[in-house]
This record gives sequence, C-alpha cells and structure tokens, in this order.
Amino acid sequence: MRSLLRIIAGVRNLFHMRQVEGDLDAEVRAYVDGVTEERIAAGMTPEAARRSALAEIGGTESVKQAVRDGRAGTALGTIWQDVRFALRILRKAPGFTAVVVLTLALGIGANTAIFTLVNAVLLQTIPVSHPEELVVMRWSAHKEPESTGMSSFGDCTMRRSSGNRSACSMPYPVYRALAGRRDLFADVTAFAGTADLNLAGNGQASIAQGELVSGTYFDTLGVPAALGRTLETADEQKGADAVAVLDYGYWQRAFGGAQGVVGRTIRLNNAAFTIVGVADRRFTRLTPGKTADVYVPVNQAKALGLRWGDADDAQAWWVTVVARLKSGVKRSEAEAAANVAFLNETMHAQKPAWKDADDPRLTLVPAQEGLSGFRRALGEPLRLLMAAVGIVLLIACANVAGLLLARSASRERELAVRLALGATRRRVMKQLLTESVLLSLAGAAVGTLLAYAGATALAAFASTNGDRPLQIEVAPDLHVLLFTIAVALATGIGFGLAPAIRGARMRSAAEMSRGTTEAQNVPVGRQRLGMGSTLVVLQVALSIVMLTGAGLLLRTLGNLRSVDAGFDTRNVLLVWINPELAGYDKTHVQGLYENLQQRLSSLPGVKSVSYSSTALLNGGLWTEGVKVEGQTNKQSVDSQMLRVGPRYFETMRLPLVRGRSLGVADVRGGPPAAIVNEAFVRKFLEGRDPIGLRFGPDEKGAPQWTIVGVAKDAKYSSLEEEVAPTAYVPLNTGGATFALRTNGPPAGLVAAVRKTVQEVDDNVPVMQVRTQSEAIDRQLFNQRLMARLLGGFASLGLGLACIGLYGLLSYEVARRTREIGVRTALGAQRSDVLAMFLRRGLIVVLVGSVAGVGAAAGLTRVLQSLLFGVQVLDPLTFLGAAMLFAVVGLAACLLPASRAVRVDPAEALRCE
Amino acid sequence: MGQSQTNLLQGTLDLLILKAVGDGEMHGLGISRRIEQITQGTFQVKPGSLFPALHRMEEAGWLTSFWGESENNRRAKYYRRTKAGERQVGVETKQWTTIAEAMASALKA
Repeated sequence: MRSLLRIIAGVRNLFHMRQVEGDLDAEVRAYVDGVTEERIAAGMTPEAARRSALAEIGGTESVKQAVRDGRAGTALGTIWQDVRFALRILRKAPGFTAVVVLTLALGIGANTAIFTLVNAVLLQTIPVSHPEELVVMRWSAHKEPESTGMSSFGDCTMRRSSGNRSACSMPYPVYRALAGRRDLFADVTAFAGTADLNLAGNGQASIAQGELVSGTYFDTLGVPAALGRTLETADEQKGADAVAVLDYGYWQRAFGGAQGVVGRTIRLNNAAFTIVGVADRRFTRLTPGKTADVYVPVNQAKALGLRWGDADDAQAWWVTVVARLKSGVKRSEAEAAANVAFLNETMHAQKPAWKDADDPRLTLVPAQEGLSGFRRALGEPLRLLMAAVGIVLLIACANVAGLLLARSASRERELAVRLALGATRRRVMKQLLTESVLLSLAGAAVGTLLAYAGATALAAFASTNGDRPLQIEVAPDLHVLLFTIAVALATGIGFGLAPAIRGARMRSAAEMSRGTTEAQNVPVGRQRLGMGSTLVVLQVALSIVMLTGAGLLLRTLGNLRSVDAGFDTRNVLLVWINPELAGYDKTHVQGLYENLQQRLSSLPGVKSVSYSSTALLNGGLWTEGVKVEGQTNKQSVDSQMLRVGPRYFETMRLPLVRGRSLGVADVRGGPPAAIVNEAFVRKFLEGRDPIGLRFGPDEKGAPQWTIVGVAKDAKYSSLEEEVAPTAYVPLNTGGATFALRTNGPPAGLVAAVRKTVQEVDDNVPVMQVRTQSEAIDRQLFNQRLMARLLGGFASLGLGLACIGLYGLLSYEVARRTREIGVRTALGAQRSDVLAMFLRRGLIVVLVGSVAGVGAAAGLTRVLQSLLFGVQVLDPLTFLGAAMLFAVVGLAACLLPASRAVRVDPAEALRCE
Repeated sequence: MGQSQTNLLQGTLDLLILKAVGDGEMHGLGISRRIEQITQGTFQVKPGSLFPALHRMEEAGWLTSFWGESENNRRAKYYRRTKAGERQVGVETKQWTTIAEAMASALKA
C-alpha cells in the first residue's frame, strides 16, 4: 500500500514537475517569511531579520534539493535529465555520433536480420489457437515396419540409426483407431502431402501443392473458414462428393481473391473437385516452411492417382497424425493409452508390422517440436550465422568503445568540473552509460530498418534457391523486437562500461589543475592507450576469425564448382513435365515424348534434346537392389538407376567408353537394354566383359536388362559424393525432365519452350524450368548461403577493424603532435617518424593476427560439415586471411602515419 | 541554534512531526516551533531536515496537505495527520518506548 502510494506520488511528481517545483518554492519562501516576521517582532530591523532568517535556513536551494532527493520518482527524474544532457552532448558532435550510430546499426542490424530468420524458422509457434495442446504421433522400433510402402513428406524427420528407426508416417486405419479415443483427444487429424497436382479449370493448367487431409483437419487445428466452409468429417466418407478448400494466400494469388470461388469446379489431376471454401488468413502453415495451395479429403488420393495414398491399405504407411489433447489429460497419460491402441492395431493385424522383438512403441511429441520441417535443414546454418553476427557485433562494440575512449580524452575537463561541483561518481557513470545506451538504441533503430531489408532479401534467396520452395515469414514480431532491444541495451552497456568506469574514476582536482595540453600528455594517457590498443587487438583477432571462416567456405565453393561432373553442365536447359497428371497413360506418354523431343529440337539455338526420369545433379535419386548375372555373391547389390530417352548421352555430353547408346527402338519396347557406368563395372564386374551381361531386381516379373554399353562416370545425386555404380535404362513410363543442349546461354529459351509444350498439349503443365547450372547451384545452397553471408560479415568486420586501427593511430598522432614537432626539430628524419607510428600499428596487427589465427584454429571446426576438399585447419586459408588483414591494415595505418610525417615542427611547437 | 542542540536520533523525527501536528493543521514553521516547544527546546528541526521529511511522509500517506492562509494573511502549505498517520504514531511510540526502556535498564545495570 505504501509503496503503491509512493509510486503514484512519483508519477505525479514527474508529470507535474513545474507545479511541484512552484509549490516547493512557495512553501520554503513562506517559511523564510515567517521566521523574518518573528525576528522583526522581536525588534530586529527588516534587513537584519531577513539575513538572520536565511542564515538559520542555510540556503533555500539546498533545502529544496534535499526535498527533491528524498522525493519519489527522483531516480526517474535524473534519468530524464541524463537523457536530455546526453542528447545535447551527442548533438554537439554530429560526426562522431553518426559514425557510432552507423557502426552499431550495422552490428545490431546484422544480428536482428539473422535473428528474424532464426525466429521464423526455429522459434515461431504454429499459427493456430493453443498450439501447445497439439501433439504429433511418432513411432520408433528396431526396424522399419513390414509395409507395402512408406512415404514421408518432410513434416517430421525420419530417423535412421543402427538398430533404431523412427518416423511419423502411419497407415490410415491406424489413424482411425487412434481417432476413436475421444477419452484422450479432443480431436485427431491425419494428413499427407503435399503432392504436385495439375490444376485445370482456372485459366491455363498449373501446378498446385495439394495437401491430403482428414475431415477433422481444420477442426483439430481450430482454423475457421475465411469464406464458405472448411472440410467436415462427412467429406471423408466413402462416396462423398469430391470437395476442396483453398489456402488463403493461394486464393489471393491464383484466384484474385474472388468471392465467387465457392461452388466452382476445378480439375485436379483430371478429376473434378468442387471448391467449398477458403481457410483462415492466419493459417499459413502447420509445419514450418511447408505450404499447401489446396486441401482435399484424404480418401481422394486414388482419384488423384497418387499411388502412395491408399486409405484402405493397412500396410501403406503414409499419413502423419496430429491430435489435440483433451483438456485435463496429461501427455504422458495419453501416450500410454495411445501406445496400447497403436500396438493393438499394428501387431495384431492380419499381417503384423513388427515382431515383438522389434520393440515398437508410440510417443506423443509436442507438435511445435515434432513437426520440424525445414528446421533441420536450416537449423545448423542459422546457428552458425547467429554466431557469426555475434562476432560482428563484438567487433562493432570494441570499435565504438575505442572511439568513446579516445573521445573521453577531450571530455576529461568536463567530467573533472562536474566531479568538483559535487556530482557523485555514480552519477557521472550513470550519465556516461546513458549516452552509450542512447547511442546503441539509435543504432538499433537504424539497424532494424537494415535488418528488415536484409531478412527479406535472405528469405527470398532461401526460398528461390533451396531444394524446394520455402515460405519464411520475416514480419518482425514481439520476439524480434525484444531481442533487438535486449541486444541494444547489452551493447550500450558493453561498449560504454569501460569508458564510464574510467570517467568516474578520474581524480577531479588533479585533472582540473592541469592545462589543456598538459592533460593530454600525462602518463594516464599511456594507460588509456593500452586499453585502446587492446580493443583494436580484439577487433583484429575477431575479424581474422571471420575472414578465415569465410575463406574456408569460399574455397569449398570453388572446389565444388570445379568438380568434374562427368558431363557438360554448361548450356543445358532442364524442363520438368508430368503428363500422367493430365491423364496420359503409358502407351500415350511415349508418343508425347517423341513429339516433344522433335519439336524442341527444331527450336533455334537448340543443338540436341533428350529426356530422363529425373535430372542429374538436382537432388533426385533412385536406387534399386539388383542381381548381376554371373556374380558369385548371391546377395543383391545397390545400383543407382536413371531412365533415359534416346540421344541422352549425346545431349548431356556424357561419353560412352564402350558399346552403343540407347536409341528409339530401346525406348519403344525392344528387348530391355541398359548402359552402366565405369563404377558399375569396377565394383560388380571386375575383370569381365560387361557387354551382353544381364542384371535386374531379384523379383519375379521384374525386367532383366542386358548391358549394351559402358558410360564414363558422372555425378548423379550430388557433387560431393563419390561416383556410385549407375545404370541407365530406357524411359517408357512416368514424368520426365527434358534436357536441351543449346548453343549459348539457355535462359532466353524458356518462353519458347513453354509455348512449344503448350502447343503440343495445353493440359500438360510445365512444372519447372531451370538451367543445369541453376540446378547445381541449388544443390550448393547451404555452402553458397554461408559463403555469401560469412563473406559479407567478414568484410564488414574487416572494415570495422580497419576503422578501429585508423582511429587508434589518428588519436595517437593527434596526441603526440608536440612530441613529433620536438623530435623533428631535434633532427629526426621523416622516415623515423613514419616508422614510429607504423611500428605501433603493426604491433597491434601482429598481436591481433596471432590471437585471431589461434582462435580461428579452435573455431573453424564448427564449419566441418559444410566444407569440401579443404581441411578445417587449411594453412593456406589461415595464411591468406592473416595476409589480407596485414595488407588492408597497413593501408589503414599509413594514412594517419603520413599525417604525422607532414607535421610542421614550428607549427606544432607554437600551438600551445 | 546553540551547540547544545541534541542530534536527532535516527527515526525520531517522523514521530516528533506526527506528535507536533497532532489533531490540528500546521504549516512548516509552525511544526518546527511546536517541536521546539514540546521538547523544551532540546530539538530544533532545521528546514533542511524538516521539509524532506514532510514531503516524504506525505507521499507515504501519513500526512495530507492543503494550501491556506497563515495567521498573517500569507499563503502557506498546511499539513494534517491522516488515519494512517495516527496508526503510525501508535507503531512508532511502541518502538520508541521499547528502545527507551531497554536503554534505561542497560544504563542502570
């Protein structure tokens, strides 16, 4: 109660400062008048009475100050005073303020930008109501279940370690059993996807990302409809009408936000669906980074021709199950009961999924952590980047601390005067800290703008260059705001503390008694320089750490780019199409492909055209267990497989070392022929003639291919991997990636290619168009992102450290102008003066470099997983980083040192 | 302000002020003179101690103030004891009595 009253009084005091002051003045004056009157009544003259009254009081001002000090809200009041004073001081030195604010803006901005991404990728909660009640069901066992198929869609990471498998995909009937447990869960939903769906009936055919969801999906997540309705349980029943719900963003993009969309019929993979509604605007995703354009009931998988999604098959593992816990039910309780239900379904089915010894179990993982999505892929690079920007901020702090320290020299007299006039040391320190916190808040304000632009650019880079399109929300939220403010405050105190302590520790009387010039030559100066040098050494060391890291990544990137892919990666345009999505069957696909091959070949600038089931070096991979004829070992071996069309090897410039290529006859259904690579021969057919040998999967009815040729080794899935045994077999089913070998850069051909495909059949959507080099760049996404950003941050650090070095020497030159004058007058050569300052700068650089190389040696290990063809302790990179700094640092030293040389002795001695 | 003036014991000033104000209304000078009177001149409270204490006690809710006319027609700030102030008199009196008795018995021993 009392403290509350005091707070109220304090606030009132603050807001009514003027009135409170006036009242106090009147009150004290009334007291003086009262005493004066007493004295006059006692017989004194009015003047004598007044004098003695004032004497009794001992100064009205000190009385008032005593009242103010004891008053509530004083602390706040002095902060306000400090802030106003600090603003005045900073305004007086606009150049200094601008440099400091800009430096801090870069440091804080870089941190905020990266944190915005960390927040979006790692921290942001699922945008639905009460996401903390949601759990995702994850099974684990010693091995994968007996199944007819296992599909996962990047919602929840599949873990494979020796003797343990864990994933979230489940058969649909298991979901039904779990959904029946209304005693545990308020609601349960199953979903799978997204799948590429060919959407027709809304202008030209296009690809939409379709998520297959149970009827309970939106109710479980608590997502309302923005328009029309969401899905209901009835939509999931057998024989129900085919309906679809649109994502809000997709509705805006593809349908222009048209209100009349409800009730419209669209064709998805050639099946008719009625749009019944649009989901809420706030619902952007369930799994981070994964977006869907359209939601359809899970039982429509068959109608959409998605082979992996059979709701009746108790052995097809493909849906992810998320439940909302019933209120009052603990996760552990629900887990125990759900585990029993899960085991009952999977172990006592007609065909048990596991044996008892496999020890299967079900766990309920909080959805926020279980649905990791791209968190796993981006988590590590982001953590590294966070560390990198932390280092940049440290450099910026050291830099600004150095500037403040140098400046405090010119403020020594001001501080001395304030101390002499009775300011307490605490108050002086508070004042200096207020200044630095203000500076860093200003830096944070500017930095936030930089950060927003930076984060947007980064998110765009990540979403267009990753393996698949990602969506990263970079809109700043409360987390980001709090983070920035915390960083700004910590920074302000971090760089301001040393100068503040020094300022408050000053011996007031001693400093004041000295003249201006004398004050600049005292031994204290050497001490200060010691601190200044230490700060620059720190900057040098940290920027060398950054340069080394960036150097290692740049060399990695260079190594990866110079890897021989085994085929000519330049001037190739890749075009993805999937006619099956438009209702083509096996017999017609062949004709379409031949037609397209012919039409595309006749485009101007195109040398040769072929196609394959997937592109080389684009992240796709198909591996098959095969038995090779005549192999003594009975076990089947793993071979990478790629289906190709005619003229593939010619188009890709993938040389054949033996035998013949695959032609039209092979594709049209002649005896199964195949070409294998050298690694295949080396590994499986050592010392034997491969031509004429047969191989194929060890299953009844599986094709047995005859080897008709041997191709040179080429990289298939990634540049980093060793070339694995690979077989090329004729393509006669499924989607295809066309490859166009062009005369010049192929980017200009994109429009013509799209037009040609449309002319041939406008129901066949072009899913993607990329050049081969783009596809490879996407593969190198992590390395490129890191090399780019670390390179940028390292340059920033280098620049800041050089400014620090420059500032240190400039200050030194200014401080020792008189000394230089005396030395020159006494006969010192210009070269002596130059050497004096260069030596000083070089010592700082040398000490910093040694410390930096040492620190880098300990720290580059964290980059290990990103490096290729270069060791974490690569001596060349370390030396390069140190040399680079030495050269740039020397330039930073030369400027102030040359200024020292130009000092005119007569001038220097006169300016007392 | 003779040399004989006894230093105010820490914590006694609040109690003296609350006592001096009593059930009436008083301005600063009045309180000061009243304290001198009721302590038979032992304690003379200087404005440098008096005013900070008055403002602090007002913020604590023991005193309330208003502006009025003084005996010679001047504007003056008057203080009055609140209910909380009365309770505080009880609390502090008890504390002071305990200390005084303890000291007395200690000195006799």
